[in-house]
Amino acid sequence: MDTARILLVDDNISIIENLEMVLQANYFNVDTAYNGRDALHKIESDEYDLVICDIEMPGISGLDFLSTVRKNYNMELDVILMGSFLEYKDFSETIRLGAADFIRKPIDNNQMLRSINTILKRKNNRNNFSELYNNLERVEFDFVLDPRNFSKFAVSELFNNFLQQNFNLSHNLLNQILICVDEMVYNAFIHGTLALSMQERNLDHHKLQKIINKRLEQPDIASKRMHIHFSICHKTDTITVTVEDQGPGFDYEFWINKVKEDQKVNLEESGRGISMLYYLSDKLEFQHGGRTVSISKKIPKTNKR
Amino acid sequence: MNIKLSIEDKIAKMKIEGILNSENAYLLQEKLNDVLKSDATLLELDLLDCRNISSTGIGKILLFYKDFITKGGEIEVVRCSNSIYELFSMLKLNQLFTVNLG
Repeated sequence: MDTARILLVDDNISIIENLEMVLQANYFNVDTAYNGRDALHKIESDEYDLVICDIEMPGISGLDFLSTVRKNYNMELDVILMGSFLEYKDFSETIRLGAADFIRKPIDNNQMLRSINTILKRKNNRNNFSELYNNLERVEFDFVLDPRNFSKFAVSELFNNFLQQNFNLSHNLLNQILICVDEMVYNAFIHGTLALSMQERNLDHHKLQKIINKRLEQPDIASKRMHIHFSICHKTDTITVTVEDQGPGFDYEFWINKVKEDQKVNLEESGRGISMLYYLSDKLEFQHGGRTVSISKKIPKTNKR
Repeated sequence: MNIKLSIEDKIAKMKIEGILNSENAYLLQEKLNDVLKSDATLLELDLLDCRNISSTGIGKILLFYKDFITKGGEIEVVRCSNSIYELFSMLKLNQLFTVNLG
């Protein structure tokens, strides 16, 4: 196993220096941050196996940090919290947010090392599937979505969890893929399945939801399905996502040409999604009169985390 | 996704954290409506901790932009990440309002 990379977060410089020395002596690769904000930026741009974070920091506390990691980055990242004491409400919060462990200050180095090793062993077991996926030449999956269940799932978040847990993609690449997935699936639902007009789409959320619910009661709409296909090919280092709806399609050639020619900002309500797919993907393709849209994205070697 | 909004002295400060996608873009619309109803003439958007924005989210900003400028308002992205900066440049939104990198 490679040397585990640990991010130490504490506003107390001497604590950071002491822990860094102990961890380096035990062959861990250590990085440091002196506040929560720096730590959040570091985990966004770099990859760590574990974070050890002080709870009582000015500004973003350890609990705020953990909460942001779970909420905004949806990460399975293991975080050990450390502090001199833990009130009951903070204790229940650490459990709710899924802290990997809590270490009391002053730090008992042996206890800390035992905790780190247990967590890394557990992480290693969890990564077995990830290792399988990354060593297969090609991974593919398909799913078919009943539009009546669309609002139960945030499809792009499902992709986010799956890709983050199993593939070493950079945050930037992952974000670009997620925007594309969101665009394609939402368009398949709003246009291809529900055939909502521009006016309807611009209504406030509650009014729009009422219209959507009413549409979904219509048998011809409820019987439509959205097909989603995902593949990652390690031989060509390419990710492909395809979404197909059962709507009437649209004049995609007109919109692609418009995107290519447009030099001005698009203040209209249509075509912005296609612009985003066009610029964010390496290859954008439409088939079946616009009912099927497919994007491909190369995984640059340097873009892997 | 989390949106914090404060309005003071005709300046609305909005901070968006996380992923703004088609599923939660309506939350942005609700906050922008609050700005529109207020006496604010400047909206300062802090997008440094915003990971990405879908076209639905961009659509909400542009809908707001059209209404806001008719009442003399202005938008400024006070800071944002590289990926959001690139997205706004790609969609040429920097022709409409100032977009500053974080």
